[in-house]
Amino acid sequence: MTDTVATPSLIKTLPGAAYTDPAYFTAEQAAIFETMWFCVVRSADIPDPGSYRTVQVGRESLIISRARDKSVKAFLNVCKHRGARLCTDEQGQVQRSFQCPYHAWTYGLDGKLIAAPNLTKMPDIDRVEFGLTSLPVREWLGYVWVCLADEPPSFEDSVQQDIVDRLGDLDSISHYDVADLALGKRIVYDVAANWKLIIENFMECYHCATIHPELTEVLPEFADGYAAQYFVGHGAEFGPDVKGFTVDGSEGLDKIPTVADDQDRRYYAITVRPQVFVNLVPDHVIIHRMFPLAADRTVVECDWLYLPSVVEAGKDVTASVELFHRVNSQDFDACERTQLGMSSRSYREGGVLVPSEHHIGAFHDWVTSMVGTPRQEA
Amino acid sequence: MIEICPLADLPAGEAKRVLVPPHPPIAVFHTEDGAVYALDDTCTHQDASLADGWVEDCRVECPLHASTFDLRTGGVDQPPAKVGVRAHAVTVQDGTIYVELSDETPNLPPGVSYGASA
Ligand code: FES
Ligand code: FES
Ligand SMILES: [Fe+2]
Repeated sequence: MTDTVATPSLIKTLPGAAYTDPAYFTAEQAAIFETMWFCVVRSADIPDPGSYRTVQVGRESLIISRARDKSVKAFLNVCKHRGARLCTDEQGQVQRSFQCPYHAWTYGLDGKLIAAPNLTKMPDIDRVEFGLTSLPVREWLGYVWVCLADEPPSFEDSVQQDIVDRLGDLDSISHYDVADLALGKRIVYDVAANWKLIIENFMECYHCATIHPELTEVLPEFADGYAAQYFVGHGAEFGPDVKGFTVDGSEGLDKIPTVADDQDRRYYAITVRPQVFVNLVPDHVIIHRMFPLAADRTVVECDWLYLPSVVEAGKDVTASVELFHRVNSQDFDACERTQLGMSSRSYREGGVLVPSEHHIGAFHDWVTSMVGTPRQEA
Repeated sequence: MIEICPLADLPAGEAKRVLVPPHPPIAVFHTEDGAVYALDDTCTHQDASLADGWVEDCRVECPLHASTFDLRTGGVDQPPAKVGVRAHAVTVQDGTIYVELSDETPNLPPGVSYGASA
């Protein structure tokens, strides 16, 4: 349970070791990233049969690819012969098979073992059993989600429930038509901070007035320190003089036509555990996918999605992208600065959460319920 | 003449490996445009089954490395395989595929042999 300290205003955070200890990070990989649905790529990143991306999920490297029948597949990126990593590039296109560069075991786009030197001399080799290990896959919001658990949790009760808990229902997000939006911009951030610091930062707005001058101009209510994620179904309203969700409050892009009137001129933010942030504004959607790589390193891929007509027409999205790119940079700088303090003796027992951050305590309780209590380093 | 199988059992776009002891196994191909061909099944570079390869425009690409073989002549286009495979004459009679084996000497890869010495 969340610890309170002597002062009722304050709740304790996790101890510093939860953010620095490689053993705790490994435990998180096993108990969180390898048990939950994990959002890996935008479906449009792998448009054709043989297109693939490689991603790190927990302790595993995965190949996410499209098969001949256009379905999406996820495979462990490991040869069934003697374990060589099959694909080392971050993305690519194979013609008809994945071939191991070591002894040329060759797998079809469906994962089955198609060929290998002397394979006909070994008729007892089952081509499915010795095919690539496939993982369960879901597509939702135009993204591919995979799960490394033997028994994946219900997608509805996990991923979709996090959306419902924040917005009140799934209808609200369906108005943004996220699956059919087009990628206007992608920026990848390599952040020298623990993934939990990035989530905690995204959940609170106590820092907004200090580090996000542009965002606070657009969303004046953020200056009071209560984030959109403190309330259920609440979107922060644009300031009266603000024309759009842009770096200077200038006009945005074409509004997504199905966005409801009460969603207009508002910003909604959702954390989908364990590694996705969804940001909704009337003319675009911003999705962050985090790839935790080490206790002190997280790669964040951030996509700005617009109506396909906006992207196809080559409309200028610079002022639109620049607002959240600045927010990202400001946030990730703050997370990196915080990471530096995590190993200090003064943070051995952790820090404190003020009332507008108290909801982060629930996130900490969830982490410890999944992983166990981090040890406090002596 | 060796009876292979009813044409209906080998859908267009597919290939099958057929054992014809004591001769080396053959691969029978039914192409997308409806033609039927037969080659020695074993690639001449290393022991791989051409029936597992990919057929495109009257050629089959070995599933292991980049060499392709002409389905009509067995001729090879590019390394690493250096010599072609044998092509066998195919007839389809009353819906059944028959193959007349070539009497040339097969070009088998190192370490692979069939027949009496196998
Ligand atoms: S390790 Fe992949 S073929 Fe041997
Ligand atoms: S085995 Fe056929 S080209 Fe190498
Ligand atoms: Fe922030």
